[in-house]
Amino acid sequence: MGTDRIECIFFSEFHPTLGPKITYQVPEEYISRELFDTVQVYIITKPELQNKLITVTAMGKKLIGCPVCIEHKKYSRNALLFNLGLVCDARTKTCALEPIVKKLSGYLTTLELESGFISNEESKQKLLPIMSTLLEELNATGACTLPIDESNTINLKLIEQRRDPLIVQEYDVPVFTQCKDHFIKSQWDLTTQQILAYIDGFRHIQKISAEADVELNLVRIAVQNLLYYGVVTLVSIFQYSNVYCTTPTVQSLIDDRSIQEECLNYVTKKGQKRAFLRDVFQLYCGLTPGTTVRDLCSRYSQQLQRVDERRLIQYGLIKALIRRLQKYPVKVTRDERSRPPRLYTGCHSYDEICCKTGMSYKELDERLENDPNIIVCWK
Amino acid sequence: IFFKCGEKTSPISVILVTSGSRGNKLLFRYPFQRVADCTSSLTTKQRSPYALNTTGDVLEDPDGDSRFSDIILATILATKSDMCGKKFELKIDNVRFVGHPTLLQHPHTIQANADPSVISCMHNLSRRIAIALQHEERRCQYLTREAKLMLAMQDEVTNMTESDPQSPFRQILPKCKLARDLKEAYDSLCTTGVVRLHINNWLEVSFCLPHKIHRVGGNHVPPEALERSLKAIRPYHALLLLDSEKALLAQLPLDCSPALVRLIKTCSAVKNLQQLAQDADLNLLQIFQIAAHLVYWGKAIIVYPLCENNVYMLSPHANISLYSPLAEGFGQQFPSHDLPSMLAKFSLPLSLSEFRNPLDASVQEAQLIQMVVWMLQRRLLIQLHTYVCLLVPPSEEEPGLLRDEELPLVARVGGRSLSTPSALSFGSPTSSDDMTLTSPSMDNSSAELLPGGDSPLNRRMTETLLASLTEHERQVILNIPAAQSPEDLRMFARLLHYFRGHHHLEEIMYNENMRRSQLKTLFDKFRSVLVVTNHEDPVISLFQSPLG
Repeated sequence: MGTDRIECIFFSEFHPTLGPKITYQVPEEYISRELFDTVQVYIITKPELQNKLITVTAMGKKLIGCPVCIEHKKYSRNALLFNLGLVCDARTKTCALEPIVKKLSGYLTTLELESGFISNEESKQKLLPIMSTLLEELNATGACTLPIDESNTINLKLIEQRRDPLIVQEYDVPVFTQCKDHFIKSQWDLTTQQILAYIDGFRHIQKISAEADVELNLVRIAVQNLLYYGVVTLVSIFQYSNVYCTTPTVQSLIDDRSIQEECLNYVTKKGQKRAFLRDVFQLYCGLTPGTTVRDLCSRYSQQLQRVDERRLIQYGLIKALIRRLQKYPVKVTRDERSRPPRLYTGCHSYDEICCKTGMSYKELDERLENDPNIIVCWK
Repeated sequence: IFFKCGEKTSPISVILVTSGSRGNKLLFRYPFQRVADCTSSLTTKQRSPYALNTTGDVLEDPDGDSRFSDIILATILATKSDMCGKKFELKIDNVRFVGHPTLLQHPHTIQANADPSVISCMHNLSRRIAIALQHEERRCQYLTREAKLMLAMQDEVTNMTESDPQSPFRQILPKCKLARDLKEAYDSLCTTGVVRLHINNWLEVSFCLPHKIHRVGGNHVPPEALERSLKAIRPYHALLLLDSEKALLAQLPLDCSPALVRLIKTCSAVKNLQQLAQDADLNLLQIFQIAAHLVYWGKAIIVYPLCENNVYMLSPHANISLYSPLAEGFGQQFPSHDLPSMLAKFSLPLSLSEFRNPLDASVQEAQLIQMVVWMLQRRLLIQLHTYVCLLVPPSEEEPGLLRDEELPLVARVGGRSLSTPSALSFGSPTSSDDMTLTSPSMDNSSAELLPGGDSPLNRRMTETLLASLTEHERQVILNIPAAQSPEDLRMFARLLHYFRGHHHLEEIMYNENMRRSQLKTLFDKFRSVLVVTNHEDPVISLFQSPLG
């Protein structure tokens, strides 16, 4: 789907007298004699390479196939060798096509074993229109459903490859990237459905688990799943004592009209006229190291008349216009006799420590402020 | 040479295959196949070359290495002559082979999901080794000799008793230089990402895998991003070496360019590239090229030259752990100081001048600067710059959104062209602001072109500049008290095109030959229509992120 086109689908087999050849290809004449000669050793292969997904790049093209070998006395030479493959431009990323090729080879193998679909000259001819339809539909919609005969149907779908998501921590806050109304509950598993109502961009994982009465790890996994599909993204817990600062991306609010629109619609208080860009931009720029959200509210009260500060922060984090500065305590000096620090090593933020120990920020602050051995880094 | 690569950026193995009149042969592979230690008749390296691999018995190997016997590798990797001279890529299940067949076959195997730029880098290395081998083959049949040696060893091992399970390749290694070179290439790629070989002790092949050298928070930096950043370097940037001068010079090959040596000897964190050009007696373009080269190889980074007014803050990617190797290194370099305490000081943005006047005078000033340089080299600090944006308070009728179009070029009267060095005419060096007074301005700075005072010409110029604004914007600006001063208004109008949030203070200073205090005063006078923020420079933030 999209940018990566399948240029050609071919069916190759080992002919008893002619050797490896291309029996069918759509569109016709796509694979030149020269190209096939160069790559045939990877199409109709030695036994070691059979049943493996083989992608070979040559002469500006990529050929993806899975050579199949079915051994039986009834075949001339006691074996049937064939390969149904796809051809793309050499620069195409073809990872998504691999499962399709594998599945197709499986289908054809089954058909041959059940009804001799391929070895029978008459039924083999049906391959050509099948390949045509495949090519057309996979390129158009990325999916294809084809009945082959009364009992067999091919179902194929191109699955987009995504990056592995980050690990979700208990103190992370999931927030929907699109409007929640577009979300079709029934498409998702039961756990996800159960926690859906609690995903509001302010509750963190631990809180969701407690309020929805779902085990912590299940919540974590469900959110990770949503993260994988880009349905949610993670931000940090909101508190008025939080400190943020701008990133270079904040300028996109000035450059990009669509982001302006989206932002102003998102952050304006319900029932108010739309906030002014200048006010919103000033608010974001007012977030600096050392300034808490509380400070911002008192300094920029005029600008905040039409703006919901919580949604302002939320939007800023989602779009990476701002970033959170976290506090990390480090125990720099201690006597020989005391234990080495477990949490105060510079690796664990206040968010994490408070979540794990159940302390509030204030409590942690009080505890650490009076300890001369502990310094705090913000980053 | 085929490199087999994993999901990340390291190859799984390197393989050398030849195809000739006597058929296809796998000459060498590294790492050697693991000797299977299970009882069934498995692939031991002892096999006769005529035995076939029975895949059913082979141990599950996530790398897919032991699935491919020497024989099958020789067959599949010995491509036809039409494929020679071009990149070769073959993927079998989740293993990818990349190489550059020449008259000689050099496949690399990489795991399937490797980034395409990693693949093309591997291919590049393949090609370079192939070219070197080709050259040596023509000159003195180097490859034929090495190949004979390898085959002889393989035969010898095959003829030895069954009790010796040694891989023939293990025997080849001490006797055959080419094998050792390939092993070294593999090892280097897996660790540092920097490869330096001397084929036949004569031809040098050097190569670096930028993916290993440049990483941002765990992900590698794609070469295109690196290249984009390198293109955006300005003459007012500085080059910060990541090694000591001595160490760096020792790493250079004997026949390296004298320009490179001069540059390394002359460069300093307080000198911008333009000054460096003068001091090293090179033109700016050369400096840019050499600087880019050093950065690409991970030997230097681009920073803004160190000066009192530079403001630094802890990098979000900085490792501030008490037990990190960085903390240890810092303690060794600067005894009686610990890294976390130093880093804590930069939790709030701190200028160098503030840092240099700590309440405790126990630390020498010079040492403090050294500490900052140390921290910059290890990408623990980022530098913050001031960016300015013009945003006029909206009237009730105006929706308050900005116009779609950019300020038209008519507003950009005067000032230096902001393009890459080749288009620049180089004026006198503008040193970091606190050190000297601003030098005589550039020829095309409008401050020089226009006579001072409130001449009709000046007024016209100002009007033209302000013409790109909407009526409302113009009105608001003209109503500002400071706008009553024609000088101030003219300066404001002239700098208008910088007020889109993409040019930081130092850049404006450099281009317009103005002092920091001048600019700050101007910003203050017009603060009702300007919004100011501080953040890192996106252009060089790539170089401020940590390695590995």
